[in-house]
Amino acid sequence: MFTEGQVVSLTDILTSKDVRSARQTQLQASYPEQIICAVKLNIPGNVKTNAAIVNIFVDGWYNILAALNQAGYPVQHTVEYRELATGPEAFIIVDGPIVAVKKVMMELETQLPMGRLFDIDVMAAGNATQLSRQALGFPARQCLVCDQDAKICAKTQAHTYAEILAVIEQHYHQYFNDFRWNQSNAVNFAQKGLLYEVSLNPKPGLVDPASTGAHHDMDVFTFIDSSLALTPYFNAAYQTGFNFHEDDLTQLFAQLRQHGIVAENSMFTATNGVNTHKGAIFSLGILLGATGYCYRQQLTTLTHLQATIKAMLATLITTDFQSLANKPTLTAGEEQFLKYQVTGIRGEAAAGYPTVFELALPQLQKTTGTLPQRLLDTLMYIAGNTRDSNLIKRAGQLEVLAEMHEWANLYFNLGGSKTTDGIAFLQQLDEQFKERNLSLGGSADLLILTIYTGLLTATI
Amino acid sequence: MEIKQTAMAGTLESSDIQIILRAGTNGYEFELESDVAKQFGDQIKATITNVLQAYAIENAQISVVDKGALDLVIKARALTAVQRALAIVDTPNWEVM
Repeated sequence: MFTEGQVVSLTDILTSKDVRSARQTQLQASYPEQIICAVKLNIPGNVKTNAAIVNIFVDGWYNILAALNQAGYPVQHTVEYRELATGPEAFIIVDGPIVAVKKVMMELETQLPMGRLFDIDVMAAGNATQLSRQALGFPARQCLVCDQDAKICAKTQAHTYAEILAVIEQHYHQYFNDFRWNQSNAVNFAQKGLLYEVSLNPKPGLVDPASTGAHHDMDVFTFIDSSLALTPYFNAAYQTGFNFHEDDLTQLFAQLRQHGIVAENSMFTATNGVNTHKGAIFSLGILLGATGYCYRQQLTTLTHLQATIKAMLATLITTDFQSLANKPTLTAGEEQFLKYQVTGIRGEAAAGYPTVFELALPQLQKTTGTLPQRLLDTLMYIAGNTRDSNLIKRAGQLEVLAEMHEWANLYFNLGGSKTTDGIAFLQQLDEQFKERNLSLGGSADLLILTIYTGLLTATI
Repeated sequence: MEIKQTAMAGTLESSDIQIILRAGTNGYEFELESDVAKQFGDQIKATITNVLQAYAIENAQISVVDKGALDLVIKARALTAVQRALAIVDTPNWEVM
């Protein structure tokens, strides 16, 4: 896999280092106040670029940019050279203290699944050399094969080329062709998302095995029936993505919607006309279609999943909200858009589900305890950080969002799901939701998606 | 051969080596900086020494910053530094390669 492609000579490689070094000096002069990061890959052998190598680079590149922004160091400018025969490389010009930026980069080199293949130099104007790990008191980088100091293994040629390539290919395979993303697993994860969510208790206003919450027409059995009725749809959605070969991904979404209409009918048949999973049908269909598409492309990463979703839904908001004024019957989401300009699940979806990928999933990763404890804390975190359109609809006003924010804060201040106070608070909140006829359907849908992505990434 | 001008080759990137050659009066005077100097310092100096000898350079001040370069990289960078120091632009002395 890594031996296919154009062969480069030692002179080519050394010249590329000279050129890169000259570019760095130029950038240091052009941005005297900023930090310069040089991003490149360490690929052994004389083939330095091909489709697989560019995949590794592009995926890491998006993660690097996201990590810098998340750490609060705004990226000012980037220069990318993806097509070089000596391997893809790029520069980032960023604001921030050099030591802190270097630490972010070192963490990425350690934590990104393919991080060990990345070499990120961090430098500032006036410093002749880049900041080294050792200068910050960090250990030297480890060898890809044996965890010894990488420089020593390289100098002594401790490992054969074949041995090193085998390790890289194995990592690549695990990361970009993850078996978790195959059809039977993905469909299984979607089902688990639905069933875990309904089993979780106590939940404010929502149906669970102990309470029907603020709902009078459904119970946990309705949800089980509805979940199982969706299996054919989940398979169809995954296959639609897997078999999609056109360039325009909005067409993939158009195809998925046709399956979604059929799925809604299956749901209503299974539940005797009760809407249990309309939101989940919409979102899980999108996620399963995107998962099948990414698996087929051998790009099983959240970065590519999210990018695929955004491309699929590029025209969703304009087409869906364009002609609402003339539409005879409106869904809850459509009504709220007209009333409050809240774009609801459509806005969330079109933006690539930032609440799921950037808030809820990282939060789920941080949670500890049993699975139900982790999921309850994640649900309350979502509820406190989103504009739940189901909650808005039931309350009939937007002010309820501020209340929800307070409730979530209170819950976490009490210690969350691992404390008796936290659980008692949820029970009280459930009572209050029942009295006021409130529920958290939107947050529950986002939890389902978070469970799904958590299972895809082996977070849970 | 005498060094005509101070010359530099290589970068400070990992897996590379930067070599600066200056005219000297007292044989080869090395100044070496490397994370792995303890284990490989002598080997790095020997590789560079071989290249200098192949060009019959008798005196030189040699500043080296090694970032974990492989032997063949050290040779190639030393060769470039020597050619620049001697102001030769013709083909490398392949016997040392």
